[in-house]
Amino acid sequence: MRQSLRYLGAVVAGSLLGLGSALWLAGLWPQRSTMAFGDVDVGGWRSDFAIGSEAADPYTRARVARHGLLALAKTEAVYFTRATDDTGAPLREACTYILSGGTMPAGWWSVTLYDASSMLPANTDGALSIDAERTGGGAWSAVIAPERPAGEGLWISSRGADTFDLTLRLYMPDVALLADPNTVLTPPIIKRLSCGESGA
Amino acid sequence: MKRWAGPLAVLMLCALGAHALTLHFAPAVIMDRAMAALAERGVALHAFTAPQRVTPQTQTVVRSSPDLYYALCRYDLSDPAVRLSVRMGAWPDYQSLAFFDARTDNFATLRGTGRKVAVRLLPPGRAPEQGAIVSPTGRGVILIRRLAPTPARFAAAAEAGNADACQLERVSR
Repeated sequence: MRQSLRYLGAVVAGSLLGLGSALWLAGLWPQRSTMAFGDVDVGGWRSDFAIGSEAADPYTRARVARHGLLALAKTEAVYFTRATDDTGAPLREACTYILSGGTMPAGWWSVTLYDASSMLPANTDGALSIDAERTGGGAWSAVIAPERPAGEGLWISSRGADTFDLTLRLYMPDVALLADPNTVLTPPIIKRLSCGESGA
Repeated sequence: MKRWAGPLAVLMLCALGAHALTLHFAPAVIMDRAMAALAERGVALHAFTAPQRVTPQTQTVVRSSPDLYYALCRYDLSDPAVRLSVRMGAWPDYQSLAFFDARTDNFATLRGTGRKVAVRLLPPGRAPEQGAIVSPTGRGVILIRRLAPTPARFAAAAEAGNADACQLERVSR
């Protein structure tokens, strides 16, 4: 009888362990939601060029299904995500950042802010992204903050986001980018300017 | 100690099995739930649904871009005697017609910047034809993206969307 209970316990515990570890490693565990993963890392911006294709490993497939459903394959678009600033600290609504960059190796690009649930944060600011058309050619910069900054510059609103990440979309990517992203892509930098009451 | 050897082996086997099964079925389960959610929100079967501009209040799919016009069509080609006739109207800027199967694979994408596109989608198992794509699974989603980062451009993209079509046809054999 005791031995039977041991086997029963082993089945239950093993199944829960397997389920939990798969959910954790695939980023499906609640609150473990960043898309900042993958084998391509350019200046802290992470991507997996297997997204959307049958070649994606099971962890990538599961994670993309949860956090990047209906993403395109790399010949049409590549997606880079970053959840930390240039010091390695998590991106937070309480802080103000400067995002800056230049020309991107793609036909069109955008940077969009998402909350920990991979959704646009629930605000009505109408300022959740910037794109190649709004920045024009050459060098550009944008403020990321929960309140609109003074002046006419570009702004991405983090109001209501709590912790968040940024997704850089590169549509119609240059062939050279797919072949050698570390050489071809100069990704935007994220400099933290200040933080609110929680310090740092 | 010996009496724990068997249960420990069973524990390891169950853990490995549950781990592999979870990863294998997760994309299909998530896609299935997403398709059900899309249906609940009015995304039609075998028709492109005129979209609202993506905002925090209207978003239906994770990581949607507020700079793009998205038109979705759910399809079900479980019946081998049918096919889908798909058309994407002309748009002067970037646009694409992307096909996703029930396991979330983006199995085909047709770019149509500055031109219209027409293609047939065939049920799984059908022989390839000129001007047609074979779906790997019976069910899936077709997604048109148009670059439309402003309200005015979105309105124009919606106008262009009047020429989009996603129509089920019965094939006579």
